[in-house]
This record gives sequence, C-alpha cells and structure tokens, in this order.
Amino acid sequence: MKHSLILAVLLGVSTFAADQVAQATPTLAQIPAQPSSIKVVCPNGNCSQTSEVQKVEVVNPIELAQRSKVQDDDTLEENANLRIGVVGQGVAPMNTDSPAQAYALAKRAAVADAYRLIAEKVKGVRIEGDDLIKNMMVKRSTVRTTVSAMIRNANVVETTFKDGLCEVEMEITLSHADFAR
Amino acid sequence: MRSRDGNHSFSRRLCAIILFSSLALNASEFLVSYRYMVKDAILYNESLFVSKSMRKCHGTPHDGLILESDGGNNLKKIISNNSDEFISYVHKLGLDLNHKETNVNYQNSSTTILTLKTTCFKVDFNDNFARISPLK
Repeated sequence: MKHSLILAVLLGVSTFAADQVAQATPTLAQIPAQPSSIKVVCPNGNCSQTSEVQKVEVVNPIELAQRSKVQDDDTLEENANLRIGVVGQGVAPMNTDSPAQAYALAKRAAVADAYRLIAEKVKGVRIEGDDLIKNMMVKRSTVRTTVSAMIRNANVVETTFKDGLCEVEMEITLSHADFAR
Repeated sequence: MRSRDGNHSFSRRLCAIILFSSLALNASEFLVSYRYMVKDAILYNESLFVSKSMRKCHGTPHDGLILESDGGNNLKKIISNNSDEFISYVHKLGLDLNHKETNVNYQNSSTTILTLKTTCFKVDFNDNFARISPLK
C-alpha cells in the first residue's frame, strides 16, 4: 500500500513535469518570423570597424517549405505568361514507300502525341480503373485514361528523326487572358 | 409605258440582280473539315472533307493562307498538293483533341484523334495560287 502510494505520487510528478516542458517548448509554427539584429565582431579585435550590425531574417522552416513548393509549381499568374514545353514521339509505319514518307507520317504522329501531352498538362487527365479479382487473384486489371481539349497556337520548336522514331518538341504560351474569357 | 422593244429598265435591273446574285452565290466559300487518327504512336487514318457552301457564311476572313495552284478551282486537290502547309496552318487555327488510352494487364494501347471542326473558308482562286481564309 505504501509503495503504491509512492508510485502514484511519482507518476503524478512526472506527468506534471512533462506538461511543463511541452508548454515551454514552442512549436515551429509558433516561432515569430521577425527580423532580428546580430552583432558581428572582428575575430582578432584590430579591425577599423569594431563592429557592424547585420539584419537577419528568421524564417519559419515550414513557411519556407510551403513557399518553395508554390514556386516549384507551374502556376499561371495574372501578369505573366506561362510557357509549357513538351516532347511528343511518333513512330513510322513499317510499310512506307520512302524514308520521306516515313518521316512525314512519324512527324504527324509525334505532333499528335505532343498535343496530347500539352492537353494533359493544361486540362488534366480523366482516369478510370477496374480490377477483377476472382478466387483471391487479380484476373484483369484495366486502367483507362481520356483527355479531351481544344488547342490552338502551339508551336513546333524542334523535330528530330532517328531510327524510325520522330520526336517533336512543342511549346505553347498561356496567358491569364486566355482563361479569363 | 411599255415600248415596242421591251422594258429596258426592267431588263437592266433583272440583269443586275442576276449578276450580283451570281457573285454572291457563295461560290468562293467552302466548308472544310479535317481529321486524323494516331493509334499506338502510328498514323492510322486521315480524312479531309471539302464542300461548297450552300448557304452564305457569316463572319469576316482572318489569317489567310496562300496555296500554290495550277489555276484550277478544285480546292481539295489544291490542299492535297500543299498538305504540309495546310496542316501546319490548321494547327495554328486550333484542333480538337480526343485521346483515349487503355491499359489491360499492363499492355497499353492508345488512340489520339485530332479534328478541325467544320469551318467555312473564303477562297480566292487565282492563276498561280489560291488564298484561303477562315471566316470567324
């Protein structure tokens, strides 16, 4: 009985101490993001300017991560154009009469692929998936993706054709006004 | 009062009406649609439809394209002879894109269809070239 009472008191004291530590330690979001001043002194002490003051901004790391994430995304600003570049690929059919015909047909296919990539970036992709499971085994797994868009003013930047594969680099410049209509 | 030789003013008016209506009979307005299909990264099918407009198209011509011709009035033939120029021009006008991709048991197949929806073009035929301009 005496031992259990001592144990209970010890447990109560330890939980109280833990609460105090948790209250004393601020979370990252609570760190004030105010600029502070630090004093830089010459290490050997014989500088003409004995000290100089430098302003240092204290930034919350969570805010910094969020800011960099926003900058990494391709977002369309109101007063700035957004350039989107893609590389489409197309293959020449096997039964062509000449290399020129193979090139022309492969380029047409590559342009269509580039258009599709632009549409995927600008408008997004609709995805449907089905899995058929029978007797605890996957019998059939199906993923269907569809893209539908209307694209104008896309420009071909560069075309390469090698070993029957044609690659077309295409770009489109989007402005805020295109979507504000 | 009607003269013995006939009513000249009436016949003149009639001739003028026939002349202007023949000019305005939309002979130089064509409906063009174009579409091609790419299946598994290979060009599969291409179709071009050209027809004379039976009704007057509305709108003003924009961004014309000059195609070389031998003086004929067959627009489909002229476009076929200048297919590269026409296709790059059509891309600038804007194409509808429809892409479907299916993956069954990790085997992929895709179909992409690019379509120029039926557009009315004003066409000026000349001796050496034809100028086509979409009406918007």
